[in-house]
Amino acid sequence: MSRVTLADTIKKYGATQVIHGIDLEIEDGEFVVFVGPSGCGKSTLLRMIAGLEETSDGRISIGGREVTRLDPADRGVAMVFQTYALYPHMTVRENMGFGLKMTGHRKQEIDAKVSEAARILKLEPLLDRKPKALSGGQRQRVAIGRAIVRGPEVFLFDEPLSNLDAELRVDMRVEIARLHKEIGATMIYVTHDQVEAMTLADKIVVLRDGRIEQVGAPMDLYRDPDNRFVAGFIGSPAMNFFKAHVAGDMVDIEAFGRKVRQPVRQLPDRGPVVVGIRPEHLRVDPEGDTHQIDLVESLGGVSYLYLVSKSGERTIVEDRGDHHRRADDRVGLAFDPEAAFVFDAETGQRLR
Amino acid sequence: MASKRSPLSRLSQAQSAALLLLPFLATYALFLVYPFFRGVWISLHDWNLLEVAFNPDAKEFVGARNYVRVMWGRGIEWSAWARPGLQLFALAGLVLAAILHATRRIGRGPAIGLAAAALLLFVVAGIHAGEEGRWYDRRFWPTVGNTILFVALTVPGVTISALVLAAAMNRETRAMSVLRTLFFLSQVLSVTVVTLIWQIMFSPRQGLVANITELTGGSPVNWLTDERFAMAAIVIPTIWWSLGIAMILFLAGLQDISRDLYEAGALDHATGAKAFWYITLPNLKRTITVVIVLQIILHFQVFGQSHLMTQGGPNDETQVLVRYIYQTAFRDSELGRASAMAVFLFLIIGAFSVVQFLVGREKD
Repeated sequence: MSRVTLADTIKKYGATQVIHGIDLEIEDGEFVVFVGPSGCGKSTLLRMIAGLEETSDGRISIGGREVTRLDPADRGVAMVFQTYALYPHMTVRENMGFGLKMTGHRKQEIDAKVSEAARILKLEPLLDRKPKALSGGQRQRVAIGRAIVRGPEVFLFDEPLSNLDAELRVDMRVEIARLHKEIGATMIYVTHDQVEAMTLADKIVVLRDGRIEQVGAPMDLYRDPDNRFVAGFIGSPAMNFFKAHVAGDMVDIEAFGRKVRQPVRQLPDRGPVVVGIRPEHLRVDPEGDTHQIDLVESLGGVSYLYLVSKSGERTIVEDRGDHHRRADDRVGLAFDPEAAFVFDAETGQRLR
Repeated sequence: MASKRSPLSRLSQAQSAALLLLPFLATYALFLVYPFFRGVWISLHDWNLLEVAFNPDAKEFVGARNYVRVMWGRGIEWSAWARPGLQLFALAGLVLAAILHATRRIGRGPAIGLAAAALLLFVVAGIHAGEEGRWYDRRFWPTVGNTILFVALTVPGVTISALVLAAAMNRETRAMSVLRTLFFLSQVLSVTVVTLIWQIMFSPRQGLVANITELTGGSPVNWLTDERFAMAAIVIPTIWWSLGIAMILFLAGLQDISRDLYEAGALDHATGAKAFWYITLPNLKRTITVVIVLQIILHFQVFGQSHLMTQGGPNDETQVLVRYIYQTAFRDSELGRASAMAVFLFLIIGAFSVVQFLVGREKD
């Protein structure tokens, strides 16, 4: 019912093109997260769906209805802004009911919907306050409430948690996930935080420089990235990349100081490649001496070791268990070849 | 950054603040505070400008007699229906204050303010000279009335047109910044230039206004000497003249409103006029209040427009308070009586300054 379809969507500012022909299908009720580094066009794309930015070319449809040239209010979307964008002169109740008031709904109807949204978000005690008298988290809940009251086909979230402190961010993340379960509406969520993307999304869209790098379920992107960019962006701490050479069916990784049996089927015969290994798939080999421990971050159950190779390459290793590694120790590295990814050294495309 | 050799650094913060403030405070005291008290003192004397100039002893302490001579009369009465129109209007204001407060449209402070103003109008409008009575100075209260009328026409005129212009020009384009400069330009002209321009504009023979009137089929009027138009003829140039500052204040206020609010509004079906009414105006409330109060204070002191364009005429229709003070003091040499009027004007302006101070302090 509320599918969102983008077909060859393009955005230009004068001569500068920032969105390069995006094609995307978002299913009814799906929670989709646009993720990417700043300047990748994720917010612009969201604002194009909202109608706050004009679409230069291509088509956008929501619920089977083309909306490309419609006003924001006529698209059946509601948006939650990073800055909350609450009307400062209105109470929480008035803020939430404003959209319905503008479309001429009756007061009882508005009150009923506002009360319902307030109940879902536990905002009842705050209804008569003004935004100024609320905390950041409360304001964001009101902003979400305002979106709920409008009863949209699609919810749009533009980095809604970036202005909150870390603890609150986790709470709100859980709350948004719960909300999605409760209302079941289509939601599109923009963030630069891959943890938010991983935890919230049914489907992640990784963007870079106005192009889609990969679309998929969070664990699919994690397990099976299409290219070096996605591999490096999804997962925390980020994947390690090593310069390597292919020789026959062996991969020679300089930093390891030895050849490894290659884990992929279609390697080029010879030449440079990049091997990517996640920190959790690397092991410290106490016998080796290819790396020096630069720093140890102990988080309790897990420690992150920051290693430097002889040639100066930096590597992060996840170390589980009680090993008492110390900075300046010399160690070697080992890994499971099955867990390694091989990328083209030039294009960054995954070789499989 | 220890500036060891700076002489200022040897003083405490309070001392250096005092030092830096000293030139201003000295000037302020010498040219404003002292003359003010001197003025109050003069207003308590029978003080002929020329006589006292030649003979400092030619003044006589008369207490409040100047105030009585200016503001009061013989056989002055009060009744609740002396000016039914004004007094009913005042009563309506009183009721409005009560209703607005009861329905929580306005807070307690503004409600009390509105009610007090309405009550004051009701009482003042009821004062009149009885059958046998007469005012000692027949021209004073009509002059005050003219001044209030001038303010009542000018201030909304300036505020509304400045607000509309600011809203229209709140865009970062080259054309808009040129227009902003143009509209602000009139502000830098002196009152003599402004009145000269508008005297030509209003001239019944070659003036632009007369030409337009003729084009639309009307017969040109002499704005400056026609009783019906004289007040308008000094109000319009004043609006044109003082638009700039108000517009700049509004532009600053508009730029303080986050763009996000308009985007949220766009999603809430509030665009165009609705956005202006529901988002722009409420968020500009404080700027609007400040502009209004500043304009009231400024325009109560109107002098040049009346003096240079209409000479207070025709038939005293455009005689305003400052011009009357000026004439009483420097034409009639009645410095004591003029000072009493000046003190009265000070009280009016002082009251609005207090309002401005309260508004400025008010949170939200």
